[in-house]
Amino acid sequence: MTTLALPRRWRLPGWGVCLLVALAAELIYFTLTTRHFADGGTGMLALTEQFVPIGLLALGLAMVILTGNIDLSVAANASLASVFAGTALEHGYGTLIAVLLAIAVGTAVGLFNGLVIAVLGIDSLLVTLATQFIVTSIETSVAGYSPPYGFASSFLRLGQGAIADVPVALLVFLLLAVATIAVVDGTTFGRSITLIGYSRRAADYTGITTRRALCAVFTLSGALAGVAGVLLAAYYNSAQPETGSILLLPAITAVVLGGVDIFGGRGRIGEVVIAVFLLGFLSQGMLIEGDSSLAVTMVTGLLLIGALVLKVMFERNFRASWAARMRQLRSPLSHLGRPG
Amino acid sequence: MTTARDIQTVLPPEEDRRQSRAMIELLRRREVQVVAAMIVIVAVSTAFHPYFWASANFGYILADSMVIALLALGETFVMLGRGIDLSVGSVMGLSAIIVGFQIQNHNMTLLPAVLLGAVIGVVLGLGNALLVAVVRLPPIIATLGTLGVYSGLEFVVTNGNQVDTIPNSMTNLGSNQVLPGIPEIFVYTLPLVLIAALVLRHTVFGRSIYAVGDDAEAAYKAGIGVQRVLFMTYLIAGLLAGLAGVVFLIYTSGASSTTGVNDNLSAIAAALIGGTALTGGRGGAFGALVGSVFLTVTLTAMSFAHMPDVWQPAGVGALVLLAVLFDRRARDASVARRSKRRRWRR
Repeated sequence: MTTLALPRRWRLPGWGVCLLVALAAELIYFTLTTRHFADGGTGMLALTEQFVPIGLLALGLAMVILTGNIDLSVAANASLASVFAGTALEHGYGTLIAVLLAIAVGTAVGLFNGLVIAVLGIDSLLVTLATQFIVTSIETSVAGYSPPYGFASSFLRLGQGAIADVPVALLVFLLLAVATIAVVDGTTFGRSITLIGYSRRAADYTGITTRRALCAVFTLSGALAGVAGVLLAAYYNSAQPETGSILLLPAITAVVLGGVDIFGGRGRIGEVVIAVFLLGFLSQGMLIEGDSSLAVTMVTGLLLIGALVLKVMFERNFRASWAARMRQLRSPLSHLGRPG
Repeated sequence: MTTARDIQTVLPPEEDRRQSRAMIELLRRREVQVVAAMIVIVAVSTAFHPYFWASANFGYILADSMVIALLALGETFVMLGRGIDLSVGSVMGLSAIIVGFQIQNHNMTLLPAVLLGAVIGVVLGLGNALLVAVVRLPPIIATLGTLGVYSGLEFVVTNGNQVDTIPNSMTNLGSNQVLPGIPEIFVYTLPLVLIAALVLRHTVFGRSIYAVGDDAEAAYKAGIGVQRVLFMTYLIAGLLAGLAGVVFLIYTSGASSTTGVNDNLSAIAAALIGGTALTGGRGGAFGALVGSVFLTVTLTAMSFAHMPDVWQPAGVGALVLLAVLFDRRARDASVARRSKRRRWRR
């Protein structure tokens, strides 16, 4: 028998299965303890409307993190899109125009990020930190003192409506999730962004135009943030200039919880989707139980740390032997792959 | 042929060149560039609004920038070690709230308040330090997590109340001026910056932070306790953020459950503007001070120019972009650096 000296496939054995089990346990727990949680199944579905925007942000962010970069501006970008959609509706434009405008604005911000990062070669953390500030200013300025509210019912249906008890927002999310999985797992582009995250230099030598791919990834992330903005505005029936900073932490948490390596190159979008539901139902269940939203933030933070600690332990135990684990523990800085 | 004459004819140009090189070197320093830009902004603003030059306004600007200066100073330590701390603002807020309640309800005096703030900061910084240097999580994720935890704690601690009565004996520190334009609080904060600069430049510990930030593997092979150094940087960032909380109380005479939410990123921005690189190993303590004063001067100038307040975040963002654009080393080497990062991981 020939033994190839290839390293074993790195992926955590059954990380997705672990997430599914946790999700099931959580749903059962909340159904038993909280009366209004399940509501014959439909209540549970209706709850998803609340965290679908986070899921959309997580999809875009997951692709960005797969390339080894990060996009801190997604949440602010979604707010900006919601403000533009609201303003367009307020000025009497139709639903379609408002939706397209919001997605266009999100895409434009993403494209700006991508261009600055790819062409000027500046670290994505810095660029998106800056654009986050700038976008925040633009959105509060456009929204003005009284953000637009009270939209037409055809627009609201996107965030609040349901087709056969399944919320439209959930359908949109699932559709885009399937599309993202198809792109990342099934296309040359998807494989190339994973390779960029695994090794930028290898990607360069392979003949991938890494700059173009990076630019495209940030643009896609922006477009998804635009869709999230539409759903936000439609769900709350008002533009959401203040929501921006709140959605970033849960979105990043969902991506990390979904097993995507923060340094890029490893991760599955499908597991991110499961993590979105896990995190979303957890926060909604806690809110229904009467915890404050800041307690939820706290739990989200703890979950983020806990998931990572667990993953690091998984990772270290993977090659089994105790001596190997100790060697790994003593090796320098395996975790400091990139600044921050 | 006297050699002495030769030397004399040769020496002056040599000396001259050395001087001009020193001059160029000085002009290349980020702190000097930022101060120059600051002078331009002050001059232009004064030309349009004579009040900008008033000592009261300068005192206000300096006092206003002290909180961010302390946060940015802590952030500088972390960033020099090639880390990032997203939670400093929340540590500051939590310290301000806890100390504020002690002052408000239990008549705590200044010295115990400062000590309490420092202890709170160190304890919260310890959380980050443990996660990054012992459990070894990536700093951005670990501190994002603690950001959530600490800002949640802020809400739990306040329990719906807020700090609003700080005795005048303390708030006067923020408004009294020892010299025209120099508030008392600045005099107390400056030594911290000087100590930090001394530690960074002239101690083995300070130099090893630079070494770790520049190339962790080389530092490890040179016998530096990499994790211990990193541990200390997060602890120091916590300590300074705890002290910043007390300064915040003195300056604003109040604190609420959302104190410090926006300061996390402003602190990073100030450190970046002051020339500390996110990629580690470059920057310094004075950069943090200069960067945060520059940030406040610019924002004040913006409001003097009748820009609405909502554009202030955009000003910060634009400054961050400019600061990075002017830093050629932060850009060109990015691809090479990325491959170096890769090497450690495998």
